[in-house]
Amino acid sequence: MSLRRFVLRRALSVVPVLFGVSAITFGLFHLTPGDPVSQLVALNPDVSAAEEARLRERWGLSGPVWRQYLAWLSNVLVGDFGRELRTGRAVSAIVWRRLPETVVLGLFGWTFAIAIAIPAGIYAAVHEGRLGDVASRVLALSGVSVPNFWLGLVLILVFSLYLGVFPVLPPSRLPLYHPETLRYLLLPGVTIGTAAAASVTRVLRTAMVEELNEEYVTAARARGLPERTVVFKHALRNSLVSVVTLAATLTAGIVAGSVVVESVFNWPGLGSEFVQAIDRREVNVVMAITLVTAVAVVIANFLADVLYAALDPRIGYD
Amino acid sequence: MADRHRVADCSRRLDRRNLLATIGAAGSAGFAGCGGQGATEPSESAESDDDGDLFPLSVRLETGGTDERIRMVELIAESLQQTGYFETEVETYEWSAYLDRVINPAYQDNGYLPSIGLSGTFNPHSFCNAIHNSANIGACCNLGGIADPELDELLDSARYGIEVVEDSRLRAETYDEIWRTLAEERYTSFTHFGVETAVTTADVHGFAVWPFPEGVLGYGLFSPQDEQVAWIDRERPAGDSDLADLTSGGTLTAAVSTNPDSFDPPHSSDTTSTVVQNLLFEGLVANDVEGNVYPWLAERYELRDVRDVDRTAYEGYMRSVGTTAEGAVDVDEQVIVRHPEDDPTADDEVRVLLPDDAREAAADGTYGMWFRYELREGVEFHDGSELTAEDVVASYGYYENSTTAPQTFDSVLAVVAVDEYVVDVYAQVPDAEAERELPGVYVLSADQIADVEKGSIDPREGVTPVGTGPFEFVEFADEEYLEVSRFDDYWVGKRGVAEAFEWFDGPDAFPDGPLVDAVEVEVVPDDATRAGALRSGEVDLTYDVASATLDEFADDDGFLVHAVASGGYDYLQYPVNVEPWDDPRLREAVNHLIPRQRIVDNVLNGWAEPAWTPIPRIARGAGTADYEALETAVRPLNEYDVERAEELLEEMAGEYDESS
Repeated sequence: MSLRRFVLRRALSVVPVLFGVSAITFGLFHLTPGDPVSQLVALNPDVSAAEEARLRERWGLSGPVWRQYLAWLSNVLVGDFGRELRTGRAVSAIVWRRLPETVVLGLFGWTFAIAIAIPAGIYAAVHEGRLGDVASRVLALSGVSVPNFWLGLVLILVFSLYLGVFPVLPPSRLPLYHPETLRYLLLPGVTIGTAAAASVTRVLRTAMVEELNEEYVTAARARGLPERTVVFKHALRNSLVSVVTLAATLTAGIVAGSVVVESVFNWPGLGSEFVQAIDRREVNVVMAITLVTAVAVVIANFLADVLYAALDPRIGYD
Repeated sequence: MADRHRVADCSRRLDRRNLLATIGAAGSAGFAGCGGQGATEPSESAESDDDGDLFPLSVRLETGGTDERIRMVELIAESLQQTGYFETEVETYEWSAYLDRVINPAYQDNGYLPSIGLSGTFNPHSFCNAIHNSANIGACCNLGGIADPELDELLDSARYGIEVVEDSRLRAETYDEIWRTLAEERYTSFTHFGVETAVTTADVHGFAVWPFPEGVLGYGLFSPQDEQVAWIDRERPAGDSDLADLTSGGTLTAAVSTNPDSFDPPHSSDTTSTVVQNLLFEGLVANDVEGNVYPWLAERYELRDVRDVDRTAYEGYMRSVGTTAEGAVDVDEQVIVRHPEDDPTADDEVRVLLPDDAREAAADGTYGMWFRYELREGVEFHDGSELTAEDVVASYGYYENSTTAPQTFDSVLAVVAVDEYVVDVYAQVPDAEAERELPGVYVLSADQIADVEKGSIDPREGVTPVGTGPFEFVEFADEEYLEVSRFDDYWVGKRGVAEAFEWFDGPDAFPDGPLVDAVEVEVVPDDATRAGALRSGEVDLTYDVASATLDEFADDDGFLVHAVASGGYDYLQYPVNVEPWDDPRLREAVNHLIPRQRIVDNVLNGWAEPAWTPIPRIARGAGTADYEALETAVRPLNEYDVERAEELLEEMAGEYDESS
């Protein structure tokens, strides 16, 4: 199969995925008790049942769930993600404003994770069983085990409150592309990247240890190739296949993890928006962010598939 | 009955529950009620099996919301459980799910004990009517299904009617009667009254907190009615700050927990929106910390007439309109009054009074009350235009069909401009709260109102909010920050505070406006991050801080915790129509088992006041003729008293045996 057909097929498969994700999310959201109308007026003794009904009608929250879903879906198909219920503001505008913040944070987290994990994994594999390997494994295990909200708070405590090196709040007045932003990205980026770095280190080490015991490595060494070339050129490339698989899964984790990390660091991205939207029962915002997240995960998986073939010519596009 | 644990030893009785171990700093505070009564030996018959099937009674307590409220309910459950008469179970829900669950007319039939917290006002009505009037079953917040016609009438007569309007003593006495009735009937157990708090760094001088969250910034920064003004001085730490040392200038940075929904006053009801609007907009009158009313944008006001009418008096001005399938009134205009006998959820047509007809009624002399407000001349909006009666009338009109319309048109009948600086405001019925309630709108600019769509006075809609307030809008980034700066042409500043307010009798050193140059508001939803930003000095002020964190700040010299008794209250309600809760003795017994002092000391770390009476400090002005007498009469009924509780339960058990 040609690359073009492969891309086309994968792109088409996104449609049922998004349909499924949206239907499930919508259903779950409506199974959860509580809606924005009762949140807004429930504790207001002056609001009568008639006024509540009026609000519900105005916001399209009356009628059976399937009809609400179809109404929502038909709007989305023409590119209208609806409005935030409490404020009447367009949801797409909210998502577009928040998306870059989350992407930048995610990319930074990824870069951090890869920058740590690849050298650490290689080092551990090459020094298998020795002190460095044990240390990197212990660190990796802790990195996977530490919940990122906790890590985030500890980093704030140490670096912002005790040492005073970083501010607690992000620079709300700086544009995202300002070089200064890099400094503010450090703590949330490290928090978000730690678990990913730990997982990647572990997988890379295992794969690499395996590859280094393969006959072709012995053969390469026997031919007198420098150890550098053996490790970085031969073994590493073959080990990366499993890392790529993991990376696609971890992208979902990073997107999901950003929900917690953004809240802790007050980062104005999709994640903190998501938390508030759930809290306020803003169905349109929740649905839009869910779809964006789903698209991100699908794209990550797609990229992984493309990368497989690039890394290992034995893998074809089918 | 093997699982009954009746512990005679006092310390064990109170300490064995692990939840107490998590309570923290104040965990060592004394336990009210422990000692004499608390340590009584269980009575013999309660131990034996012949007390029938009534006891142990299964009790399910339900709650939602903050961790503190959940711990409070767990403490109450444990207190009930330890008597051996109850098998308790605590169920907790996520807040909005919980509201959906309990604000439902059928909820009371479950026989569960719900508990929620509400915010009250200066109006004593907010501590009795919402939770006891039968009209509020299935609405907010008569959760127990209390339907007591005599009480309903008493509640109405305390607020409405020409008698209480004209005689504030009678009004206070009627409320006293309500509090006594409530204390005796025990439909509800009030547990505690809240404390409004704010934490500032020691750079902020002279700050004080308003009893309600919406005033947390505006009130502290400049409120001559209480001689309240705050300033920033980063050189010397705040403490015994004196007006003689005040300094002008600087930017105050505050952290708030939520994003403001809107800058458009009637189209938002969340706390942060009101906090920021409070900086930009002003009303006809202002309240002091005790709820007294002071003329503000109005130079003076008077009550010109009261008429003995009820809402059926408008019948002749009403028109019939249809209703929708959902039970909403199908009309685009604001419904000022709905005919009390019509019900849109049941009837196909209802009679309603619409704004034009309401003005006609008022002009014909059909109204409950008639107030006249004389505006100050020369008050400037932020856009340079002058405040006139037209702005006031347009503002009330702008509140029609808004988020906050139900509160406004609960009392307002019509608003009419008499001349350029005189406005008449009419109330629907004689209402003892009218002096505070009727002027409860922000005065907006008529020009701005004419220019924008309803609900879009907001920078996110490209509209800069324009008010008369001490600060003017500078910049806002959604969910990030807001900046306002001191308005140079603020009318109070131009005249001088003593000149501006006839009633002002404060010191000469009192400034003629806020002292800080600008206020920045950062939106920081995460509690720990917000506390961290304050600790690192990135922000000067925050509020909405958990009680355990308040203790940490209170112990730190670098910070000041400001607290004032607020209108918030928590209560537990009994399903009075379900057996055996229809027996007042059972409610009395449970009420005596609620450890109010322990709740305040241990769960809330002292940042609350036990509810010995149903009326908190802030509503005592209008809500009681003699608070001391009331407390003497009512407090014993609400004390933690295991002996009395067991006596009552034993009596019930005995009767139950006889009858079965």
